Amino acid sequence: MTVDLVWTPFKTLLRREIARFMKVAAQTVVTPFINASLYLLIFGVSLGQKIEIGNGLPYLAFLIPGLVMMGCLNNAFQNTSSSIIASKFGGDLEDLKAAPIRSWQILAALGIGALVRGLMVAAVTWSAGAVAYYAQFGQWLGFHNLGIVLLFLVLGGLIFANIGISVGFWARNFDQLSAVGGFILLPLIYLGGVFFSTDQLPEFWRNVAMGNPLLYMINGLRFGAIGVSDVDWLTALAVSILALAATFGLAMLSLKKGSFHRW
Amino acid sequence: MSLSPLQVTNLVKHYGPVRALNGVSFSVQPGEVFGLLGPNGAGKTSLISIVTTLEKATGGQVHVFGEPLGKESAVAKCKIGWVPQEIINHGYFSTKEILEFHAGYYGVAQADVAIEELLRRLDLWEHKDKKVRQLSGGMKRRLMIAKALVHRPQLLLLDEPTAGVDVELRLKLWQFVKDLRQQGLSILLTTHYLEEAEHLCDRVAIIHKGELRAIDRTEDLIQKWSRKRVQLHLNRDVVLKHADLMSGEGRCWTFMTSQNKPLGALLSELQIEVNDIVDVQMTDGSLEDVFVHFTQKGAL
Ligand SMILES: Nc1ncnc2c1ncn2[C@@H]1O[C@H](COP(=O)(O)OP(=O)(O)OP(=O)(O)O)[C@@H](O)[C@H]1O
Ligand SMILES: [Mg+2]
Repeated sequence: MTVDLVWTPFKTLLRREIARFMKVAAQTVVTPFINASLYLLIFGVSLGQKIEIGNGLPYLAFLIPGLVMMGCLNNAFQNTSSSIIASKFGGDLEDLKAAPIRSWQILAALGIGALVRGLMVAAVTWSAGAVAYYAQFGQWLGFHNLGIVLLFLVLGGLIFANIGISVGFWARNFDQLSAVGGFILLPLIYLGGVFFSTDQLPEFWRNVAMGNPLLYMINGLRFGAIGVSDVDWLTALAVSILALAATFGLAMLSLKKGSFHRW
Repeated sequence: MSLSPLQVTNLVKHYGPVRALNGVSFSVQPGEVFGLLGPNGAGKTSLISIVTTLEKATGGQVHVFGEPLGKESAVAKCKIGWVPQEIINHGYFSTKEILEFHAGYYGVAQADVAIEELLRRLDLWEHKDKKVRQLSGGMKRRLMIAKALVHRPQLLLLDEPTAGVDVELRLKLWQFVKDLRQQGLSILLTTHYLEEAEHLCDRVAIIHKGELRAIDRTEDLIQKWSRKRVQLHLNRDVVLKHADLMSGEGRCWTFMTSQNKPLGALLSELQIEVNDIVDVQMTDGSLEDVFVHFTQKGAL
């Protein structure tokens, strides 16, 4: 029996993370698909025909990248936070504590697991959007720069995975988890420019919106997708990398100080 | 000299104002089954939780095979198998998956053979595709044991492994524990079944309110601290007086004497002839007497 304490624990945990959300694929993939379709229908197709965003692109083209990022972020956050909370509930988080797994292995496995789910949801959302776009305009929506799209999806997914890890370890009950999701993250996502451009805001509110790091991630991805953005994409990249470093530190701290105890 | 699989020194654990452990020291010898006994709340689980690093000690040290237990003691952790007092649930995963994951956490990538062998040995093979909540209480216990063993540890921590288990399974688990000892595992076991401890444990420690009250070879503890019960049935009414007398009148008398006092000595002290005796019943002392002695109110 060979023992490898570097890759095997990491790979096992990653495999478990992916298997976990694949067992409830209906919840993890179909729900975001329905959500995205509803948003596309309400905002993109029906209301969107009355909205102009400048530089000649229809509102739907503007909305789709926002929805893609929103799905990715939400699902990455949900994956890590609910994985940890479920493990606290069942008690198997105690197993992880007793096992020779290091913090970086836990962070990497949970982060990448969440990212996989985030990317799957992003792909599903993009597909739904592409179909809606084709239905309306008779042509496929291409990418301005796929590399930039993937870069921001990866950054955003990992950032939200880290936030989910932090909240999962600190939370003492389900209410605290949903409070963070509902009162903090959701408003930040909605106000981060998923549905609108900050150019449409009065100056004061535009400045407020600029303080929201999510604005940069969402706009960075939108630049990659359609070449349009409220902020310079390199600035967006810098802000996202800083946010990743900060949330990584936060997640590491939660892992070291937070509770592995069952509820 | 072989290293002690588990050595705790002056272990202290406080939960806020609660003093769960107050400076407990002992060491488990290689290849023995060591019983950690004590009433509810004595601090047994707290001690085990410190060894599994789930809890941080307030003071004192733990050495596992000579290595001090620190934050990331991966090597020490690999040597430990742990059956928690509470059943762990694993949501969507099946028995077999749970064991595969558990082996992986301990760095064992190819564990199929070990898993099948363990599941068969613990009569769980036919339940390998069931989820934890689909198993009966006894099966869950056995799954916890399989998990603790899947990475081939050298020190096994069993926190009440037979709680809520039926008589037949308990006997099987006893045999299983003996087999594991035979294979060279060192085992620390907690239980509230004193008969179980008496049967299985080479040595026993009794803790009460976070303090070690007694530690010795099981039979030595019984020898030293328990009393045997002697019941005499005589062929005529008598009146007897003796320091060891418990109760009696007429022809029937009961004594509690020290474990190693010969019957003849008692009889001659009572001035009873063998001819006067119709029947004698003797019951040896048990670990239960020892336990009660060290944990009852006012003890020590
Ligand atoms: N997480 C905790 N927070 C606060 N107090 C605790 C905690 N865990 C245990 N205690 C307290 O520490 C003491 C020892 O508890 P412990 O679980 O170690 O006892 P035990 O010997 O395992 O008991 P049992 O036989 O009932 O399992 C008890 O007074 C208990 O209430
Ligand atoms: Mg206990």
